[in-house]
Amino acid sequence: MGSLYSEHRSWLHGVPAAVKLLLFALLGTAQYATHSITVLAVGAVACILLFISLGRAVLPARKLVASVLLASLLILAFHTYMQQAALGWISVLRLLSASLLGIALTLTTRTGDLLDVLERLLSPLQRIGIKTERLALQLAMMLRFTEHFFVVWKRLDEAHRLRTGKAGGLSLLAPLTIQMLTSARRVADTLEMRMGE
Amino acid sequence: MNSSRSLALVSLFAALLAVFGLIPKIDLPLGVPITLQTLGVMLAGCLLGPQRALQAMLLFLVAVALGLPLLSGGRGGLGVFMAPAAGYLIGWPFGALVTGWLMTALPRATPKRAAISAFVASALGGLLVVHAMGVVGLVKIANLSWTQAFFGTLAFVPGDLLKCAVCAMVVHTVARGLPDWNFGGRALK
Repeated sequence: MGSLYSEHRSWLHGVPAAVKLLLFALLGTAQYATHSITVLAVGAVACILLFISLGRAVLPARKLVASVLLASLLILAFHTYMQQAALGWISVLRLLSASLLGIALTLTTRTGDLLDVLERLLSPLQRIGIKTERLALQLAMMLRFTEHFFVVWKRLDEAHRLRTGKAGGLSLLAPLTIQMLTSARRVADTLEMRMGE
Repeated sequence: MNSSRSLALVSLFAALLAVFGLIPKIDLPLGVPITLQTLGVMLAGCLLGPQRALQAMLLFLVAVALGLPLLSGGRGGLGVFMAPAAGYLIGWPFGALVTGWLMTALPRATPKRAAISAFVASALGGLLVVHAMGVVGLVKIANLSWTQAFFGTLAFVPGDLLKCAVCAMVVHTVARGLPDWNFGGRALK
């Protein structure tokens, strides 16, 4: 399964994941501390310029950006209709800034690098007995089985179409769930054998 | 709780939730679309119990936050947690937790009882809790008033009630197909 990471190198690709995450978290939080449209507008313009400066790296996120713009338009239209245009602008500017920063981070940081940061952040939890190092294994298993279960779904759908001439739809959910639960038992047995617990 | 069994169940259920995002949405006769991922929240609570359901939701949301396009429509990344609908997403783990708690507390000795309990648990956990968090998100992020957000979320309630019924049907089938399955999530033999 591919991530939204962009292979087109940009200047932001070279910045360490932890630094980007910290800066974006601080900037994202700071904009909720102010209600000044001028300050928020300056922030939003800065975020838009940062996003544009990534060049071709932003291409994989076209749909995401379009959905953010659509949501912004709807919010603005709604608030203008309710005669609260200023409130609408505040929401839209915050939404644009935070979303573009989040998308920029996702586009320019490999999933593995973000995972490393996350594991480091969670490492204090090991002191109270939570096994944070298993997060990577769980994510890997999840992605592996996402593809597997999607293939299972398509097989069930094909079989249903052959039998009835119609798409399976919601009636396939129960057999898919049962197959998932029985797979979980098999995987659990294998893990138990390998990990000994 | 057996560690490797929990690990397998949590990972595979998170995978099932991701598959629900890949399956094309199903349109009802009146044009109301049904995306299956909120049904996944209800099913997680009913089938895994509170703790594992919570872990499965958190694992899925961590994967989304890391940039994997696992939400329906291929959405992912940190940006989705800043959108007006972010409250619903953040509500998923809480919804799954409450659904799991209720399922543990309600009768589930026979497939019929398990199905009725699943309907009640998913209506209160997967619907009420998730929508409550969604309303908070709409108020805080989209700056709607509480009344506007409440009426906005009401539009999705009929579709979600239908999902509660589908969840109950799936639980009924699982109870018949896997009679040794413990819906409280305490044991997995």
